[in-house]
Amino acid sequence: MNENVHPRAEKLIAQERVEGISQSDRYWLAAHLRECPNCAQMAQQTNEALRALRGMAIPLPRGLAARTQFRVQLRAQELREREPKRRLLWVMCAMSWALGIATAPYVWRAFEWAGERIGVPRLVWEMGFGLWWTIPALIAAAVVLMENLRLAHENNQPE
Amino acid sequence: MSATFTTLTAAPSRSILLFSIQMAEDNKALAQGLKRRDPDLLDHLIEQYQYRLFRYLLYLTSSRERAEDFFQETWIRVLERGHQYDGKYKFEAWLFRIARNLVIDWQRQKKMQSLDALTDPEEGAPIEFAAQNQPSPLHLVLTAEEKTGVHASLDRIPPVYREVLVLRFQEELGLEEIAGVLAAPLSTVKSRLYRGLEALRGAMQGGAA
Repeated sequence: MNENVHPRAEKLIAQERVEGISQSDRYWLAAHLRECPNCAQMAQQTNEALRALRGMAIPLPRGLAARTQFRVQLRAQELREREPKRRLLWVMCAMSWALGIATAPYVWRAFEWAGERIGVPRLVWEMGFGLWWTIPALIAAAVVLMENLRLAHENNQPE
Repeated sequence: MSATFTTLTAAPSRSILLFSIQMAEDNKALAQGLKRRDPDLLDHLIEQYQYRLFRYLLYLTSSRERAEDFFQETWIRVLERGHQYDGKYKFEAWLFRIARNLVIDWQRQKKMQSLDALTDPEEGAPIEFAAQNQPSPLHLVLTAEEKTGVHASLDRIPPVYREVLVLRFQEELGLEEIAGVLAAPLSTVKSRLYRGLEALRGAMQGGAA
């Protein structure tokens, strides 16, 4: 028997179980295993090892599922309670944004008028307008960011 | 003859196709339920996957108490991030990935090396999930009778290989799904599986000798 056939058989034995082999390789391997007791033994050992791995039983802690279901229900309740607040925050953001766009030309004129009356440079009242426009969005973003950070902190603390 | 052959070969592939479609629909329904945070669905999933998830966490953490904590945290995370499951892959692959990431995050928080660096013998790092002087998870859970023979051989496999063997041959995940769980390339998964099989066989021969 050619010496190279055994490494090929060994490779195919593993490959068959890990990712599968072609039909022709399967025929070749079956024929080889019928002729070669060493390789047949190796295939049998592999099967036995995998059977043992599959059949290994691990005892579950008593009441594990029930305890987990209880915790998950509590957390779900917390999330449900928090949901309206979050929705309110988003609604307020959206309304603020829509109102901001709708009133922008008037507010611009108001800033322009006030700037001229007080006598501040154009750049200053333009910056004031910019702040008026961006501050609500920045506050909303900060609130959402803080909320996410708090959630992440809670998630990273297994009891 | 040719027609008969065609019918015979077409039948299984059609049933496989139907099975795949059914699976995809089930996963989609599951994804929708998770998005709604359906409490009945979550209760059912916890019951259904309790054994498999706990067993996997036990392999990762080497501690029953810690595995139990992570088990609960994993389901809390499933509740909170259920909307991220899109149903394209098996639910258990997504579940195991969440569990694994929780363990890795916890290890990082404990100022330890990441799980991969800690456990990948291909990178020349130490190969135990837990401290070297601690008994392995398998050793802890096996009965006295099981600590001999084949089970004892399994206990001697490096954890990084046992993890992929567990995912492949106990959980019956596909190679790509395992790659998803480990966030590792397919080639790494295959290489670990081949080495794991070799280690398993070697451990068995060693045990028998």
